[in-house]
Amino acid sequence: MNDSVIILTLVSAIGIGTPILLAGIGEMMTEHSGVMNLGVEGMMLVGGVVGFWASTETASIPLAMAAGMLAGVLVALIHAFFSVTLRVNQIVSGLALVTAGTGVSSFIGGLDNSALGGMRSVSTLDPVFGGDITDLPVVGPLLLGHDWVVYLSWLLVALAGFWLFRTKKGLALRAVGEDPATADAAGIAVTPIRYIYTLVGGAGAGLGGAYLTIGVFGVWQNGITAGIGWIAFALVIFAGWRPWRALVAAYIFGALRNTGFTLQIMGVEISSDILNALPFILTIVALIIISARPVAARAFRAPSALAVPYARESR
Amino acid sequence: MSFTIGTREILAEPRPLPSKTVRYLVPVLSLIVGLMIGAVILLASGHDPIAAYKEVANRGFLGELPMIGTLVIATPLILTGLAAVVAFRMKIWNIGAEGQLIIGAVAASGVGLALGEHLPGWIVIVLSLLAGVAGGAFWAALAALPRAYLNTDEVISTLMLNFVALSIMNYLIFSSVSFWRDAERLTFPSGRFIADTAFLPRFWGRLHIGIFIAIGAAVLLWWILRSTKWGFEIEVTGDSGRAAAYAGIGVNRKIVSVLVVSGGLAGLAGGLEIGGVMHNLDPRALSLGVGFTGIVVAAVARLSPIGVILVAILVAGLNNSGVGLQTMGIPDDIVLLLEGIFFLCVVGGEWFLRNTIRIGVAGQPVGERSVP
Repeated sequence: MNDSVIILTLVSAIGIGTPILLAGIGEMMTEHSGVMNLGVEGMMLVGGVVGFWASTETASIPLAMAAGMLAGVLVALIHAFFSVTLRVNQIVSGLALVTAGTGVSSFIGGLDNSALGGMRSVSTLDPVFGGDITDLPVVGPLLLGHDWVVYLSWLLVALAGFWLFRTKKGLALRAVGEDPATADAAGIAVTPIRYIYTLVGGAGAGLGGAYLTIGVFGVWQNGITAGIGWIAFALVIFAGWRPWRALVAAYIFGALRNTGFTLQIMGVEISSDILNALPFILTIVALIIISARPVAARAFRAPSALAVPYARESR
Repeated sequence: MSFTIGTREILAEPRPLPSKTVRYLVPVLSLIVGLMIGAVILLASGHDPIAAYKEVANRGFLGELPMIGTLVIATPLILTGLAAVVAFRMKIWNIGAEGQLIIGAVAASGVGLALGEHLPGWIVIVLSLLAGVAGGAFWAALAALPRAYLNTDEVISTLMLNFVALSIMNYLIFSSVSFWRDAERLTFPSGRFIADTAFLPRFWGRLHIGIFIAIGAAVLLWWILRSTKWGFEIEVTGDSGRAAAYAGIGVNRKIVSVLVVSGGLAGLAGGLEIGGVMHNLDPRALSLGVGFTGIVVAAVARLSPIGVILVAILVAGLNNSGVGLQTMGIPDDIVLLLEGIFFLCVVGGEWFLRNTIRIGVAGQPVGERSVP
């Protein structure tokens, strides 16, 4: 039962879905503050290479994850400075981050003293619960067989949901993303909030990148994310800016990247290229439905001030 | 915005329209700051920045051979830059040039393959470039129609369509026996080559006529934006959609036409890459981020079509020098890193066009505040 193709597919969907989820939850928090960061792919690559490098240097997974996270935060700081303080067009700043992030990650990966390309990860992430417990049918592999980062990602989803919709700080955050001028007038500090949550987004992407290189693939390779950062960006929209929906959607997107083989076993001939396109097609369809149906629009709405720079003078 | 260092207060305030000198000086100074940051990174990683920048100049710009290579790289970049210019002028954020370029290349190579053997070369060239334009325009229309009639956010839809286009191209070459694929090469999948009569004419070595088409498109777009009703309406709609609607401009149709033109320009870039450089549909050579870079090029050029030509050539020269840096022992990935730094510096430097800095004594009013 535990070896059935469907179970194995779902387990691998959780594996590849976790970096998507981590980066997506981070980007979701950023977007709730009204900042759109298109640089997820770049931040994930930098987090991935720095995390992998740290894992070879320290052989400590928690340290490596923290290093990847910190690297993502530093890249996000650039976006925060340019888009919040200098009020550069956020699309342009985000895309420049993708370019710079791709370059800097390959550059770090190729430095003479740390040629990481092709090196195997020295330590791997082990399941938290050992022994017989994972032999339980279905729930064993699906719920109990994971490493701590997967459980951390579930915790972060719960925390994000609680924070956004059940706390005062979350209300302030959403107010800044909906109507910064009114939030400002109500005494909420717009600029610090936008900074903090842009950095939170970087932390998520950096952590996701580090988990991708250390936990999922176990190697570093130039451009290893291969579009996963963009899927994480799509995830935020597909989930309608809601953390719990992102949890489900991340595993659907993860499964789509991995199910080509499973479907072949089940006798369905479908190309992995088509499956790779599905997350993006689904997001477009969801987006069109949201904009066409007022009922759907209420449940899946972007923050009103998303990607709009705020300047007090222009109030 | 203000902050205090010791007894000095540094104050930033909005400035009225900057003078011409300031408008040209700021990007140049910003680029110099970018070069200095790049130099620090080169130094920190154990390389000689002066030698590296010399190599960039020698391999990217100075001399006939480097310049030819640079102009070939610049050709699609100019067109994706123009694609961004025309849309961004109306505050329509088409970030799908990447996908529009790919679909343009698919269409252009399809026409080249279908007609290449049967018709005179110049007819095939014209038809396949038109197919490229049509392909890009079609791909943009997929986002344009929902944007115009359902108000579906075009930033996300155009972005998502990039990856759908990429998957389609990969499918055609890697996972199907399509019309585009060379059926005889199964172990190493690649696209069929178009007939060599359908190759774009070349001038000096590798330089094909695409660069003249791209520059021609830039000049034409400059004239259209400046002197035609269509161009004027773009400016008006970009300033205020509501004002445009009151003035009798059909904003929805305007959105569609602007996005279709934008996509057509990106599709033309794809067509030129097929006819002038690749001669077959090759996902390994075509997925290079030209669409995304074009957006930043347009921003750096401050949405000026003529400026796009200059910026695209500068960026292309930097890209072209990667191989040279590699032979000096500097990983060519540094090129992307430098590109990102230069982009951010120049775009960020524009802050100085909107603001002035004043330094005064803390606690005392600083001169007469300008009224914005």
